[in-house]
Amino acid sequence: MTDTAVRPPVTTRKKTTTIARTERREAIALVIPATLPILIFSVFPLINGIVLAFTDATLRRNVESNFVAFDNFARLVGDTMFWESFRIGLVWSISVTVLQLVAGMGLALLLNADLRLKGFTRVLALVPWAMPPVVVAIMWKLIYRQTGPLNAIVSAFGGPTNTDWLANFDTALPAVIVVGVWVGMPQTTITLLAGLQQVPMELHEAAQVDGANAWNRFWKISIPSLRPIVAAITSLNFIWNFNSFGLVYVMTEGGPGGRTMLPMLFTYLEAFKSKHLGYAAAMGLVLVVFVLILMSFYLWSQFRKDKD
Amino acid sequence: MGRFTKPGQYLLLLAYLIFLGFPLLWLISAAFKSSAELNSLRVNLIPTDWHLANFPEALAKQGLVRSGLNSTIVAVTTTILVIVVSIPAAYALARFKGKLRTLGVGWILTSQVFPVILIIIPLFIILKNLNLVDSLLGLILVYTTYTMPFALWMLQGYVAAIPKDLEEAGAMDGASRFKVLREIVFPLLMPGIVATAMFAFVSSWNEFFFALVLIQTPDNYTLPITLKMFVGGEGKVALGPLAAGAVMAAIPSLVFFGFMQRKLTGGLLAGAVKG
Amino acid sequence: MNKRTSQLLALVGVGALALTACTSTGGSTTPEASPGEAVSSAAPPAEKVDLTFQSLSDQPGAIAATEAVVKKWNAENPMVQVKIVPAGWDGVYDKLVTQFAGGAAPDIIHYEAASVIPFALDGYLADMTPYISEDMKSDVNQGIWDSVTVNDQIIAVPTELQSYMVFANTKMLKSAGITVPTGDTLKWDDFRAMAKQATTGGQFGLGWGLKSPTATFMSLGLGNGGVYFDGEGDTAKVVIGDGELKLPNEIMAMNTEDKSLEPSTLTQSGGDVLAGFYAGKYAMTVQGSYQAANIAKDAPEGFEWAVLPALEGTKSAAQSANPQTLSVNIDSKSVEQSAAFVNYFASAENLAALNTADALIPASKAARDLIAEQTGGKDGWTEILASGDHLEAAPFMKVPNYTQWKDTVATPAFQTFLAGQSDADGLSKALTDGWTQINR
Repeated sequence: MTDTAVRPPVTTRKKTTTIARTERREAIALVIPATLPILIFSVFPLINGIVLAFTDATLRRNVESNFVAFDNFARLVGDTMFWESFRIGLVWSISVTVLQLVAGMGLALLLNADLRLKGFTRVLALVPWAMPPVVVAIMWKLIYRQTGPLNAIVSAFGGPTNTDWLANFDTALPAVIVVGVWVGMPQTTITLLAGLQQVPMELHEAAQVDGANAWNRFWKISIPSLRPIVAAITSLNFIWNFNSFGLVYVMTEGGPGGRTMLPMLFTYLEAFKSKHLGYAAAMGLVLVVFVLILMSFYLWSQFRKDKD
Repeated sequence: MGRFTKPGQYLLLLAYLIFLGFPLLWLISAAFKSSAELNSLRVNLIPTDWHLANFPEALAKQGLVRSGLNSTIVAVTTTILVIVVSIPAAYALARFKGKLRTLGVGWILTSQVFPVILIIIPLFIILKNLNLVDSLLGLILVYTTYTMPFALWMLQGYVAAIPKDLEEAGAMDGASRFKVLREIVFPLLMPGIVATAMFAFVSSWNEFFFALVLIQTPDNYTLPITLKMFVGGEGKVALGPLAAGAVMAAIPSLVFFGFMQRKLTGGLLAGAVKG
Repeated sequence: MNKRTSQLLALVGVGALALTACTSTGGSTTPEASPGEAVSSAAPPAEKVDLTFQSLSDQPGAIAATEAVVKKWNAENPMVQVKIVPAGWDGVYDKLVTQFAGGAAPDIIHYEAASVIPFALDGYLADMTPYISEDMKSDVNQGIWDSVTVNDQIIAVPTELQSYMVFANTKMLKSAGITVPTGDTLKWDDFRAMAKQATTGGQFGLGWGLKSPTATFMSLGLGNGGVYFDGEGDTAKVVIGDGELKLPNEIMAMNTEDKSLEPSTLTQSGGDVLAGFYAGKYAMTVQGSYQAANIAKDAPEGFEWAVLPALEGTKSAAQSANPQTLSVNIDSKSVEQSAAFVNYFASAENLAALNTADALIPASKAARDLIAEQTGGKDGWTEILASGDHLEAAPFMKVPNYTQWKDTVATPAFQTFLAGQSDADGLSKALTDGWTQINR
């Protein structure tokens, strides 16, 4: 499970073994409080789930499950519907993550700038957070429906009047992507805003004295100091987006014609609707391995830049 | 950002706020519309006649206040637990390299990727054996565990963003490690801690799936569960009362955000640290 | 350190395996029903029994009716106390899956036939055959009983039903020179001709919300002999023939040839289509029968409407019955007492009160008569209650992978067809290939 994870950058500093040992002891002491609930409520169910991938477990009553080695994975290779949903999942999570980062960075910079009504605008920027996902989905369905405000606006500008955004084959995926970005904006914005606040003022002041303009200071100072934070938030955003399905499920149920069938939604249907727990776990494991490999590359490259 | 034209910035900010705020505005509008108006073809932000009955209906029918209280208890406790436990661990994760870090990162990422639906049944059984099904304490423990990977991951990012030289300078001055942490690292970390705390709060405030499965009696319902009760079979949604309930449910979080965002300022402290 | 970690992991792994074993073998004691002894009022138990009743009622009237029944029962049966645990329709499936797998499901379960049958097939529901009273058995159509019978066991008692009905704006029909049809049934061809005749000057004859088309096609298809599945259980196969394709083809013909069907409604939900119906954009709409209550409430003043007689296909006016149900958990502490409560709950009086509140059709004839008497047949009740006679069991409900096929194959395939992006051959191929893919 851990061998695909990030290799820590090699520290060049020389260490004596005693320091290393003290450090390790300190590290363990710092980490211990976090581990107990993690072991019971997270690691344990997680391993259980991973083990399931190698069995023919179902959700039927009183049925023994058998170890089937890699049968589930062999079957998965030929499951075209799963791979199609995998492709949709990639389109969805990459677009949502990139748009979240770009839009979130823009908003964080604006909120960090010296503008009026700072407190008010910051709270407004968090509005998507104040609405539970249950309500978010229903709200956006109202906005997107044929008799909704979006069509009223589009037709006011001379566009078509009755697009059913979530049911149209071409607009459904872009429409849910917009909602995905909307939902994730507060998270990304606040994280980046906190990061910007953390950049020591002196660096900016010094650069200003040196005559660097705003754009230069953004690229030369803000971005490098933010890199660990940007790496952390984009990696998480990507994982979450790849993993999400509740919102899309409520809005489109994967339709129209499977255009928004995200891989987690597919896995969910396999586990809870067909009750093929083992097969669904294999899907889950494939997704985990894929994301971990992707993340290792990404984080490794980020940490390497960090070293330069 | 010095030269960048101010009006342009305001305009851009306005565009952002419309995008982010419009759905709430539409929700508020729906909360004041009658069922007949909501089911007509008209598209209007201002209701034709202000229908106030949705609010008492939302309050009366579904025990909204009770579940609001439950959500507050769960979200606040989870936030405190997560932050207290995560800060030391995140520091260790960022500063000490080694097997432990690899293991930690591996777990954090795996636990965030693995489908919740495959975890829920063993988790349910564990909680049942611990007598924690249908209890707020059980929910708090689960939320703490599942918010922690994120909190750890973000906080270690913030720690990593603090130049190591600052700590080393402090250590050179003869300060103890603890003193260095308290006087140099902690203040610099404050905006990051606040941002993480806000997330921990929001994610447990809004969480639906665990609560759906783990909570059984209405006395223990959290807000998302109560709001979902407005959605009936065959997609029959009591839209007006749902919107009214959602608007009322949004107010505590908005107040909380208003309070927290003031603490999101780190510029003051940066001046105190001379590298 | 490294060694210790791996040991720890190994230990957790073993525990997890043990846990998996627990999940699959848990709750091995099966309280056997004793046939013959039976019927509605079981002998009071020696010790006090507490039963939980997970109810999905969400209309204020239905909640009150449910609470009243339980209160009365509790007063009459001090040794068997029932407690209502309300749950929401949305999400209850996931909740039940976890509750059953975790061995913590309620004793009495309110749900609907199509969704509860998978749990019966997985072995989680008690056989209620020996407990159902003779009165109840004879008062409910055999067709409806069939819809809750799995492997010759009745696994649920049907309570409330819906059918698909045509709602008409009578003013618009009259101005198009159409007399509002009466009688027992309405032939499909007559209906299609009516829709064509009512299509004039920007107004359409029909608006039909088919955003989630599968349920509609499965249900109304029965009248054309469209059963979609051959066989029951794990050996069932999807078979698409003329009967199955009739309804989709007819709807497409109304859309593209007659141009009597407002095309944008095809991607809307039934509820959304009502807005256009009130606004006079189309003269008729096909809806779930329960919408009668919403129309009575939401329609603008002066809106004249009626419910038309049940639609009759090439074979009959049959529609598939998917009743709301009450089932008993097979691992319940007391299957017998739970079943006795369900019997009590399903009395004509109780069902009439419940169905009036929910605007649904009671499963039993006695309860239907009671409602007809109480409402005087207003707001379409006459036609709606009459449609109850045509409800039958459909094969798809007994097929274990039906739900997955519906969500991942049928709904996308029907949507693609209705959007004009595939023809009848394409639809038929998608439906059968998808079934093969799922059952590989």
